[in-house]
Amino acid sequence: MSELVTPTAEDLQALVEQVWTSYVDPEPLLPAAPLADPGCWSAVTTVTGAWRGMVTVELPERAAHAVATRMLEVAEASREEMADAVGELVNMVGGNVKSLMPEPSQLSLPMVASGSITLPSGAQEACRADLAWQGMPITVRVHLLENDAEGAA
Amino acid sequence: MRALIIDDSKTMRVILRRILTDLGFEVAEAGDGQQALTVMETGPLPELCLIDWNMPVMDGYTFVTRVRDVPEWRDVTLMMVTTESSHGNIVRALAAGAHEYVIKPFTPDAIQEKLELLGLVKDGAAA
Ligand SMILES: [Mg+2]
Repeated sequence: MSELVTPTAEDLQALVEQVWTSYVDPEPLLPAAPLADPGCWSAVTTVTGAWRGMVTVELPERAAHAVATRMLEVAEASREEMADAVGELVNMVGGNVKSLMPEPSQLSLPMVASGSITLPSGAQEACRADLAWQGMPITVRVHLLENDAEGAA
Repeated sequence: MRALIIDDSKTMRVILRRILTDLGFEVAEAGDGQQALTVMETGPLPELCLIDWNMPVMDGYTFVTRVRDVPEWRDVTLMMVTTESSHGNIVRALAAGAHEYVIKPFTPDAIQEKLELLGLVKDGAAA
């Protein structure tokens, strides 16, 4: 049975900041006003088991590129490298969200795409962190999944 | 000293390679547990493996159990470096034969400290 437990927005922001300052930029992310369309790159990881949910990261292509160049310490990053870097970000945030929730549960491999996320029907936003980095919006969200909702579309 | 980094994320392999190279390790990489077993079977044997948990094909936990099935590999030090931070799975990996466990995100110092505890790094360099 899935329990309706959710991380708080404060938990989520703290986790994102920990990942961000470790690998992307020692300067903290700033809270920002949520944007209607946060961006054109999306990453998602799904937790199944005693707790069921999805963690998503959405950001503009320019930010995905900057994240990859920072993490890889290179001047230019390919689309494949951008997807890999953003995927590892959502993997780290997702894994740490999972550790706050009831066990046992499993974390999926991350999925990254340019474009917005289509969430499964029944997914319900539990909390979000709307942040800004170098003037670019970064939105991280946690969604609860109903027992019969599966994966990301 | 040779190290094998096993992680499906190239970004994470690059980050770990940087840390280990700075410490003086010779580094090889694999993108999943199966690839890592092939590297172990065919290449020079590493003294240290850094192992992600969530990977396609073969996950890090299965890799640890497979390595521990091979008597000739008993001296290889296995360190999980993973976002998998549930208590139950940490215990399971250590029981299966992993020596140390580092949770992502980590700092270079955290990796170095663990390697010092394992006796693989002394005075800031691979022992
Ligand atoms: Mg992984």
